[in-house]
Amino acid sequence: MTRNAEAALLVGAAAVAAFGVALVNLARGDGIDAQVALTFVVMLTSFGGFHLAVRQWSPEASPFLLPLAAIITAVGFVEVYRLDQGRASLQRWWLLIAALLAVALLFTVRQTGLAPLRRYRYVLLLAGLLLLLLPLLPTDWAFPLRGFEQNGSRLWIRLEIGPLRLQFQPGEIAKLILAAFLASYLSERQAVLAAHTRPLGRYRLPELRQLAPLVIAWAASFVVLVYQRDLGASLLLFALFIAMLYAATGRAVYLASGGVLFGAGAVIAWSSLSHVQRRVTAWLDPFADFIDTGYQIAQSLFAFGSGSLSGSGLGLGAPDRIPNATTDFIFAAVGEELGLAGSVGIIATFGLLVAVGFGISLRSRDTFRKLLAGGLAFVLGLQTFLILAGVMRLLPLTGITLPFMSYGGSSLVANFLLLALLARISHEERA
Amino acid sequence: MNQPLRRLAAALFVAFALLILDVTYLQVIAGPRYRDDDRNPRVVASRTGKERGLILSSDEQVLAQSTADPDNPQRFNRSYPEGELYAHLVGFSSLNFGDEALELVYADDLRSKRDLTVSDLLSALLGGDLRPKSIQLTIDHALQQVAFTALGDQPGSVVAIRPHTGEVLAMVSRPSYDPNLFLGSEAIEVRQDLLVDPAEPLANRSTNRTYPPGSTFKVVVTAAAIESGAAGPDTLFPDPLELELPGTTEVIRNFDEQVCGNGSEVTLQTAFRRSCNTVFASLGLELGADVLSLQAEAFGFNQEIPFEIPVLTSVFPPPSAFANDLPALAQSAIGQRDVRATPLEMALVASAIANDGIIMEPTLVSRIFDPDGRVVSLNEPELLQRAVSPSTAAVISDLMERVVASGTGTRATVPNVRVAGKTGTAETGVGPPHVWFIGFAPVEQPTIALAVLVESGGEAGENATGGSVAAPIAQEILAYWVQSNG
Repeated sequence: MTRNAEAALLVGAAAVAAFGVALVNLARGDGIDAQVALTFVVMLTSFGGFHLAVRQWSPEASPFLLPLAAIITAVGFVEVYRLDQGRASLQRWWLLIAALLAVALLFTVRQTGLAPLRRYRYVLLLAGLLLLLLPLLPTDWAFPLRGFEQNGSRLWIRLEIGPLRLQFQPGEIAKLILAAFLASYLSERQAVLAAHTRPLGRYRLPELRQLAPLVIAWAASFVVLVYQRDLGASLLLFALFIAMLYAATGRAVYLASGGVLFGAGAVIAWSSLSHVQRRVTAWLDPFADFIDTGYQIAQSLFAFGSGSLSGSGLGLGAPDRIPNATTDFIFAAVGEELGLAGSVGIIATFGLLVAVGFGISLRSRDTFRKLLAGGLAFVLGLQTFLILAGVMRLLPLTGITLPFMSYGGSSLVANFLLLALLARISHEERA
Repeated sequence: MNQPLRRLAAALFVAFALLILDVTYLQVIAGPRYRDDDRNPRVVASRTGKERGLILSSDEQVLAQSTADPDNPQRFNRSYPEGELYAHLVGFSSLNFGDEALELVYADDLRSKRDLTVSDLLSALLGGDLRPKSIQLTIDHALQQVAFTALGDQPGSVVAIRPHTGEVLAMVSRPSYDPNLFLGSEAIEVRQDLLVDPAEPLANRSTNRTYPPGSTFKVVVTAAAIESGAAGPDTLFPDPLELELPGTTEVIRNFDEQVCGNGSEVTLQTAFRRSCNTVFASLGLELGADVLSLQAEAFGFNQEIPFEIPVLTSVFPPPSAFANDLPALAQSAIGQRDVRATPLEMALVASAIANDGIIMEPTLVSRIFDPDGRVVSLNEPELLQRAVSPSTAAVISDLMERVVASGTGTRATVPNVRVAGKTGTAETGVGPPHVWFIGFAPVEQPTIALAVLVESGGEAGENATGGSVAAPIAQEILAYWVQSNG
């Protein structure tokens, strides 16, 4: 596929967003207004700018990444607009900011490539852990950067200088930075970690001290789980770590021990943490405690059921009845208004995007880039799976965002940067 | 290194395949179950929030209306401007509890049919009107208010009917409740409180409660006597202080525990005027269960009364019940024992006498019209059944007029208006009596027939009689009606 075809698809995605906004307006009984044009322009500016930056500084990058992400973003934006117009206009700003940061990233690494990421890995580790722990900053100290709690989870920081008030979930970025650290660390220690020298009967196990980082990762995720009460981020970080360790070494023992640690962690969390118990109870039978714990999941199921095959049509359903419909539960809104056709389409598009990511990883010759692309593709796929499975009651709900679709600046920025990294990797491998 | 990466990718694709299977299950296989679940807010919203038609009184007073929600113009809020005055008739259309009374019975006309259901679409294709229709009642708002006020805070009912058409002019049941509360945020608590309230404000006493009719039932017994030729107004009856019931030591006395006339003999006319139990008990025994039962049924007892809202059937026990129980027959002849009537039924008894012996089908809704004011359906008066011959009706009308002129019902007297009536004071065995007045006016050409019931004596308690408590209420209503419809 050529760059020009990519550009055409991006225009198409912007048109889908604008058309969706127009439909929502009509369903609402309003006329076609400036929102339609504004949406088209913002979508075109952000993805078009991203596209031009790729042309300029990473011309060999995979042409599939942007169109797939753009169509998901378009559908997500239309649903956010349908649910909350105020949030939609903020989301447009975030789209521009996210694209600008992605462009800035491509610009910054235009000469050096991703080599600095590899070189300064301990800076990355430090930065990643710092970002993870940032929300634990006091809420009431004098320093303008404060942590705060929302919906029972402490994931947020808020920067307040005068009238300026910025909120951000640093964990979203930490995810990328830690993936880069792991790719760098593992590409170097790969041989040692894979060399299993300690015999145990027929099996050979790695030296115990080689497992230390794994235990550290487990402990870090547990801290996130307990102190920030964030099931999703905790699980995502731990799984990312295990997956990359496995990818680097090819040793199933890491998967197995990761599974055991996860199991142990899950049991401890379930037996001692009330917010985990609530999630599990709601998952087992949302209708048993319909009014309280089960309410949100039940509303999600009602939305999917009401959507049926073809959906109610944009703006014609009632997804506003689902708590947090613009963020965690955006997919239930898609299921209701676009029906099975739309929900399967979105799942498939995510699948393709993840596949493109893994394709980039598999074609990479350089270990660092291979691991980084694999890690990024994996974390994108797993995050998508976890939140969708939660919203659809396949698994207990873990409150994380749906990449590119959920309302929220942190999530958009992180996922645009993830795209830029994948684009850069694919460019470096082909150039 | 590619092998583990491929495995990770494969694992994710299996996971995504599971998502697609699950979403297919949710939207298609289990979809209808979730879609139609009663707790699904879409189901609830499809019942409410839509525009519904108006409900008006005959004099165009708005009793139920839908107004656009100020926060969301696509939603409509139902409200009942007259509140508890019409609660039992109009009912409500509630988010939590569905529809009630006329809101339920006429839901199909009142609701907007723009739901895009298959049947609505078909109807639209066939030229059907999808807009909500409005309904107009036969109730006269001013009369309803007068009746409501006249009954006051006493538990009871007033039913007023236009005798020659069957149109219900007023139908009041107290205590009442404010149907608007069923639409508010406190609906669940409000309903619970109303359900456990011992005063039973949710009950429609006019149609859904039966009471022993007491002496008002003497109208039926007298009708049976005249129709069967067994007695006329001037027929003489023995006038004992007390009547021994056959086969028992029980006796029936008159209300004041006195003789009815001079103590030897008394005419039926006097016995009716003074409501003497001894005479009617022995007349009932003389007529027999079959004759009484047939006459009661001719007046509408033991029959389903066709009406827009549900009506409990009034009961006169079958003749077999009296085969070995003549005391029961004697007591039934004075409207006690197991005889039970709704206020609506007793209003129909009065209307039959007022309308030359004919009962018209009672109606609450006069017409249904579309938003352009075009009448979609008009309720024409229909004959329900003949209760007595015109001549019998005329005789009883005369007897009833004497009750008001110089009998137990003098407190229903309206100056310069000929009023006919019959009082009733029904012993309940426990607590104060239920007191009644049934009647009509003006006698020469009746435009209103009514039944007034005050439960458990109302404010007068043990001392209450139909003549002292129910008759004055009827007087207010009749006086207002005749004056304003003179």
